[in-house]
Amino acid sequence: MPTVVLMDASLSMTRPVSLEQCSEELQRKNLAVAGLTMLFEHMANNYRLEFTSLVAFSSLWELLVPFTRDYNTLQEALNNLEDYDKTCLESALHGVSNVVQQEWGHACPTQVVLVTDGSLGIGKGSLRHSLQTLKGRPEDKKFPLPFPFPAKLFVMCIANAEELQMTDTMHNLEQLLQLNGGDGQIFTMEGQLCLKSVQMFTQIMLIDLYPDFPAVLRCGNLASDVQVFPRPEPVFLDEEIDPMPRHILTDLEIVGFIEIGDISSPPVMSRHLVLPIAVNKEVDDVGPGTTEEPEEETSANQQAGKVPNFCVLLHGSLKVEGMVALVQLGPEWYGMLYSQADSKKKSNLMMSLFEPGPEPLPWLGKVSQLGPISDAAENPYGEDDSKSPFPLQPKIKRSYAQNVTVWIKASGLQTDVQKILRNARKLPEKTQTFYKELNRLRKAALAFGFWELLKGVAELLERECTLLPDTAHPDAAFQLSHAAKQLKLASTGDSQYAAFDQNINPMHTDFSGGGAGM
Amino acid sequence: MKMFSVSHKTAFVVDHCPYMAESCRQQVECDVLTKSRGQGMIPLAPVSKSLWTCAVECSMEYCRILYDVYPLKKLLMSALAAVGPPNPQEDPECCSVLHGLVAAVESLCKITEYQHEARTTLMDTADRVANRGRIICLTNAKSDTHVRMLEDCVQETILEQNKMAAGSDRLMPIQQCELVLVHIFPQGEDTLVSDRPKKEVSSLLTSEVHSVRAGRHLATKLNILVQQHFDLASTTITNIPMKEEQHANTSANYDVELLHHRDAHLEFFKSGDLHMAGSTSRDSGLKETVTLKWCTPRTNSVELHYCTGAYRISPTDVNSRPSSCLTNFLLNGRSVLLEQPRKSGSKVISHMLSSHGGEIFLHVLNSTRSTLEDPPSISEGCGGRVTDYRITDFGEFMRENRLTPVPESPDTEASGKPPAERAKAQLERYTRYWPMIISQTTIFNMQAVVPLANLIVKESLSEEDLLTCQKTVYNLVDMERKNDPLPISTVGSRGKGPKRDEQYRIMWNELETLVKTHVAGSERHQRVLDCIIACRSKPPEEEERKKRGRKREDKEDKAEKSINKDSEDKSWQESERLKGVVERVKEEQGESEVIKDSPDSPEPLNKKPRLEEIQLPEKAKGPVSLLTMWTNRITVANSRKHQEFAGRISSVNNKAELYQHLKDENGMDLHENGKATR
Repeated sequence: MPTVVLMDASLSMTRPVSLEQCSEELQRKNLAVAGLTMLFEHMANNYRLEFTSLVAFSSLWELLVPFTRDYNTLQEALNNLEDYDKTCLESALHGVSNVVQQEWGHACPTQVVLVTDGSLGIGKGSLRHSLQTLKGRPEDKKFPLPFPFPAKLFVMCIANAEELQMTDTMHNLEQLLQLNGGDGQIFTMEGQLCLKSVQMFTQIMLIDLYPDFPAVLRCGNLASDVQVFPRPEPVFLDEEIDPMPRHILTDLEIVGFIEIGDISSPPVMSRHLVLPIAVNKEVDDVGPGTTEEPEEETSANQQAGKVPNFCVLLHGSLKVEGMVALVQLGPEWYGMLYSQADSKKKSNLMMSLFEPGPEPLPWLGKVSQLGPISDAAENPYGEDDSKSPFPLQPKIKRSYAQNVTVWIKASGLQTDVQKILRNARKLPEKTQTFYKELNRLRKAALAFGFWELLKGVAELLERECTLLPDTAHPDAAFQLSHAAKQLKLASTGDSQYAAFDQNINPMHTDFSGGGAGM
Repeated sequence: MKMFSVSHKTAFVVDHCPYMAESCRQQVECDVLTKSRGQGMIPLAPVSKSLWTCAVECSMEYCRILYDVYPLKKLLMSALAAVGPPNPQEDPECCSVLHGLVAAVESLCKITEYQHEARTTLMDTADRVANRGRIICLTNAKSDTHVRMLEDCVQETILEQNKMAAGSDRLMPIQQCELVLVHIFPQGEDTLVSDRPKKEVSSLLTSEVHSVRAGRHLATKLNILVQQHFDLASTTITNIPMKEEQHANTSANYDVELLHHRDAHLEFFKSGDLHMAGSTSRDSGLKETVTLKWCTPRTNSVELHYCTGAYRISPTDVNSRPSSCLTNFLLNGRSVLLEQPRKSGSKVISHMLSSHGGEIFLHVLNSTRSTLEDPPSISEGCGGRVTDYRITDFGEFMRENRLTPVPESPDTEASGKPPAERAKAQLERYTRYWPMIISQTTIFNMQAVVPLANLIVKESLSEEDLLTCQKTVYNLVDMERKNDPLPISTVGSRGKGPKRDEQYRIMWNELETLVKTHVAGSERHQRVLDCIIACRSKPPEEEERKKRGRKREDKEDKAEKSINKDSEDKSWQESERLKGVVERVKEEQGESEVIKDSPDSPEPLNKKPRLEEIQLPEKAKGPVSLLTMWTNRITVANSRKHQEFAGRISSVNNKAELYQHLKDENGMDLHENGKATR
């Protein structure tokens, strides 16, 4: 996930570190830079795909390096960092919020690493002041936390815990973390402030910042060790019923395959690259997710390239066949694997996670109820692949897929009445449709208690009867007056004629013969 | 939204008191005369709806939208009193709305299926399942005091019901209830009841009052309410080109308004550019809608869009011509991309409308930068340089392992595994022996093997399947006799590669490996293996000659393909040595075990007993490993070659007591020790 390094560039960072052993004079800033250098080196070696940006702040903030994978640029900017005035965290956090939203929108989990010496300003603009005035702020001056995107907040304090606890800094920082939903951590230095302790503490921090996610992708007996990038974040479902976070399994098991057309652009929570990794016991420092390794390791890399890998086979076939593989991520949690093309030449195996639950996609039904085609009596895809069992049809049709009656707008009512009249003029040919429409109107009018309408339509039909041309079929007149009479009876509310389940049946006349029959 | 929020249950109470029979005083012209007719004709008097009719049809509309957007998990009890308008002459006391409210509270107390399910699955934490609900009461109140009286009534009933519910399994006490009172009055009258925003009556009950004119005002009100209650938002699709009814060759652009879950606009809300995204206020500022522009569809259903959400929709005006044109277009299986108008004029496709099995969804497409941009190609990673993957074969494998919905039935549950688990089990069977690259396999490159390879992976074989497998084997024997060439890969070997008979030996070995992995499946699987073993045995002199030259190679070959590599590796030296022996034994028996060349030929006589012997010890423990089978086979073969060790003959469970004579001499003590040392 992308990282924003928020670097305190206030004057207090230039405070010298009291060192007995060391002759050289060091500033806290130097220690911070040393720690970050380590961080960047680690990233450059192990997580080439991660994006990082650098923001410096004092009373103002500045985006020094926009999100990049180029760690040299970051390092350079860090080395050239100048010193400014006082610490003003609130505006800087606003800045971070803007920077992230502009780049990644609101759905992308991001981590913010605040690097500071622990003196968070005095008076207006200080963190203490910001936190004291949290409540009762107008809508446009809200405190930037919690961020509008999922964010982890790490505080890298170039100070030791005792120092921070003497003032209320520690308390304020903890409050800050809570404001962000509690996701994050405060790192303080152990013992003396010196280069060595900075290194130690960066080491510890790295584990939390970039935990690995080694997994195994399985399809029956075929398997491959993979690195899932970015690392899937735990997911919370209904916080009331099920407050425990859900983690995906490290054993990703393929359930079966589905055509792309059948799965049809499903909604997903996140997307991840699935990169095959060589589990190489001899070369320990081959970092997972490493794509371009330093030169001395090239031979090992080449070796790995020549060993057949299941991921490559799977990717190739998914791409050629236009299919996805349904993969189980946990109990009642599924995802899909597919080939994602970045450009004409480059493509990759990608995994998308569905929302946890037994039925993430209504058009597939319950995933646990998806079985092998060999279980079905006859191949649901047809012998020549002309059919598909998907999508599943919902049991009840939606309002727009059926003929519902809505008379809220006058036009709806008029259309329905006109339809009856149109058919009335074409009696006896349209006897069936005429009665069908008539009964639909009758039912709706009864349900809405709209008796006045029944009377009105009855009168309309009577008038139609008088307007019949001489050439009209004699049956037309009979049917019209019969229908009008029945509607009038229904409009009295008399239970004998106004029963909801009843229908008006065509009148049986000598002319109608069998054609207009029941 | 939480699963069991107040929106979990909604009860509608529509007042059936005589006053509701009053006309709403909004007239509907139902006799629309066309120009061609009706000259000089007097149109019929317009009709008007009663307050009751207005209330009922608006609550139905509320439900229609709700069911379209939430077909599941949201329940609604519509206490529409027995159909029919109220009788103006009736005694107002008899049909007071109070009874309706009481009934509504009672129904909210009833535990729903979902609540019951959640409670049973959670067990220890069942108390996390809450019971909240909402009552929407459409009535004509007399005054603000009357409203207060209704609120008090609901409050009291809740308290009463909660007491009752505490002692019942099928009832749950109400934790929170939202009362929405909608006061309806006819057009042209002044309201006697004032609007009031939501306030807390008690910790259990909140109440709000809306005073609305009947007719279309009421419809608008309930439309807003359903949006508020169920977190809906509105999107207007604009610029939809449609053929004119009258002039089929011209087309005009129409707008259609849809309702859906508001998360479909999440990106707009969060970025605060709701207004920039073309949001407009209609109906005098009562309603907000986001405008998205229709993009003439490119029909490409095989494209997999990166979509972050999909939400069911319901058209606000379901029967209007533009709405039904749009919904029919989508229901016919086409998708439409929607564009978000931006100030800068740049084009951003932000949404997609698409139907899945008769349901229309608004898909939210990701339009921000991805952290996954410019990833390394898969060809640069592990296994990326291998060029002869069996891509087509794996494609075929995937087609065979496609999924299909299996109807839920008590039978399938009784038979154990759910369908998805059966699918996984099938994948396991199909991949027991599945070389990934072409140069690693011979049999899968041979058309002649296909029938057997397709059948052997099945869970069970029919008699017919068995015959097909046997035929395949005979066919191979035939090929060998004719000395047909085999598609053996020459990669890595110098010169012309292995000789023809060597090729056949490799092929037979591979076939055996494949079939052996399935042997534990059923007796018929075993018979396929028997058939292969029987058929591939060679005349003694030829076999002898070949054996000398190939031992080393054979070892490597086998070890690679075997499923349990480790154990095989260790034991191979030994078993290879024994193999020669066993093959000789087989050859000796070979006289009676005629190579069958037709499926009709009878089973060799001595096959059955041998089989049983082999399978004896491990059979009960499920699948037998290759090693065990092999060792057993060798043991059996060896046992025929020498006189059996005396101890083994007298052994019990393969254990023979040592130093038995000491027991006789020293009595019980040592006997005990002897046992212990075993």
